[in-house]
Amino acid sequence: METFLQLIITGILVGSIYALVALGWTIIYKCSGVLNLAMGELTLLGAYVCLAFYTWGFPFPVALLATLVVGFVLGLLTERLFLRRMIGQPVLAVIMITAGLSFFFRAVVGFIWGTDTRVFTPQVFPTEPVRFGKMVLGQVYIWSFLAALVLLVIFVAFFQYSRWGLSMQATADDEMAALSLGVSAKRVYALAWAIAFMAAGVGGTLLGNINGLNISVGHLGILVLPAVVLGGLNSVPGAIVGGIVIGILQNLSGGYLEQLTPGGVKEIAPFVFMVIIMLFRPYGLWGWEKIERV
Amino acid sequence: MLKINNIEVFYHEVILALKGISLEVPTGGVVALLGANGAGKSTTLKAISGLLRHENGKVAQGSIEFLGERIDHRSAEEIARMGIVQVIEGRRVFEHLTVEQNLKVGAHLRGNGATIRNGLEAVYRYFPRLRERRNVVAGFISGGEQQMTVIGRALMTGPKLLLLDEPSMGLAPLLIKEIFEIITRLYQEEKISILLVEQNAKLALAVAQHAYVLESGRVVMDGPSEQLRENPDIRDFYLGLTDLGARKSFRAVKHYKRRKRWIT
Repeated sequence: METFLQLIITGILVGSIYALVALGWTIIYKCSGVLNLAMGELTLLGAYVCLAFYTWGFPFPVALLATLVVGFVLGLLTERLFLRRMIGQPVLAVIMITAGLSFFFRAVVGFIWGTDTRVFTPQVFPTEPVRFGKMVLGQVYIWSFLAALVLLVIFVAFFQYSRWGLSMQATADDEMAALSLGVSAKRVYALAWAIAFMAAGVGGTLLGNINGLNISVGHLGILVLPAVVLGGLNSVPGAIVGGIVIGILQNLSGGYLEQLTPGGVKEIAPFVFMVIIMLFRPYGLWGWEKIERV
Repeated sequence: MLKINNIEVFYHEVILALKGISLEVPTGGVVALLGANGAGKSTTLKAISGLLRHENGKVAQGSIEFLGERIDHRSAEEIARMGIVQVIEGRRVFEHLTVEQNLKVGAHLRGNGATIRNGLEAVYRYFPRLRERRNVVAGFISGGEQQMTVIGRALMTGPKLLLLDEPSMGLAPLLIKEIFEIITRLYQEEKISILLVEQNAKLALAVAQHAYVLESGRVVMDGPSEQLRENPDIRDFYLGLTDLGARKSFRAVKHYKRRKRWIT
């Protein structure tokens, strides 16, 4: 029983990081219909930027804030340089551009920071584990969870209440109608990419703190897919719930199925799950089916 | 206020949709655009509001002037900022947002808290029904309420010129009446100029002071509403009345012959 609880809770804690990255992915899909294949590389880029700030001696919270700022700027820049000219072109062409971007960013990361595993030194979070009854949780998980939670709340509040957040949702709903009210679609896309960069950067940083930072952190970009498919590709709450569920699922399968198999169950379980969801609920939990009034 | 001078519009560089249209909307006036499907009414509105560009269309010749400034090469956003707002046909609400959020998006360009509150109050004064429905997701409200939402949303931009595309489409007669009463109040009380595209010619001629009749991308007739109401062709084709005022069978009208005379 304790193992089960422990696995679930760790799953939720890690899942919150997936949720953050999934949210970034969903924003781009929702606003512009583009499947962003470069999401994993965005997490890499953000994580290494944070590492750079940290090794230059900034305290971790400052480094994280700086990562957010850099992510925001990089997002605007990416949209302006690579994607702006693709507005009005077929979505598939834009998706291929994101595939190109993923190779490009991966190469940039390898070029600047190399491919060895790097760790945040000195340790950012105390290594002393926290005990709840018989459960033992690493502090790094708890702090990561809190950081992810704060960002999630900020992003969701931004979408629900701010002027630009509402305009982004409006553009996702009906671009032409939004344009007719003077909403600039270009700025909405730029903002979507900026938010994706920010979310991915923080997600990558937190995960890098847990496992150490190397190119494989970029796999987060693929792991996000089952999460968003579960949530329904264009639902923000769906992405958050999806991320957490995938975290739990990964942990449970790791805990219970790993000893029965040669290994690797943890890595493939989310994708098996994704296929099953696609069979039974292709729209995911809260994906948009067209609203039909009766 | 708005002056269109002999514009030609192409879609995808080859399809000629408007073949030289000129029209004028005076300050504080209501002008109606009549015409059959495909005559170019909606294209005219999109040319004015700048949305044309997003459908791969282009104003190739002629000019559009608003308050003395040329706007035919400006982006939709700039044009909206100058005070022209188009209500696209077909009740295009933001389905997944609530009614109030829909209205707030309308105030996108006027992002200040007090302006938004006043704007919301003004819209709710014109459409009390929207106040009751403000927290309902717009995809689920009735067609009439959706039409009110999109008109209200346009009002939130604080427009000087409102381009209305078929506000009566697919609505019950009573609702149409209500919406047209509100449109009348809008130009009387708020002094908003209106360019109205309508299939329902009777209603349009009742509200507008002046009307233009479009046919295959050209203006074939224009004049004050009273005059057009008496015109035998308009009575035949748009009002469905004969000279005696009785309903008439469309089979009896030699459609193509009469049209030919217009186009010349």
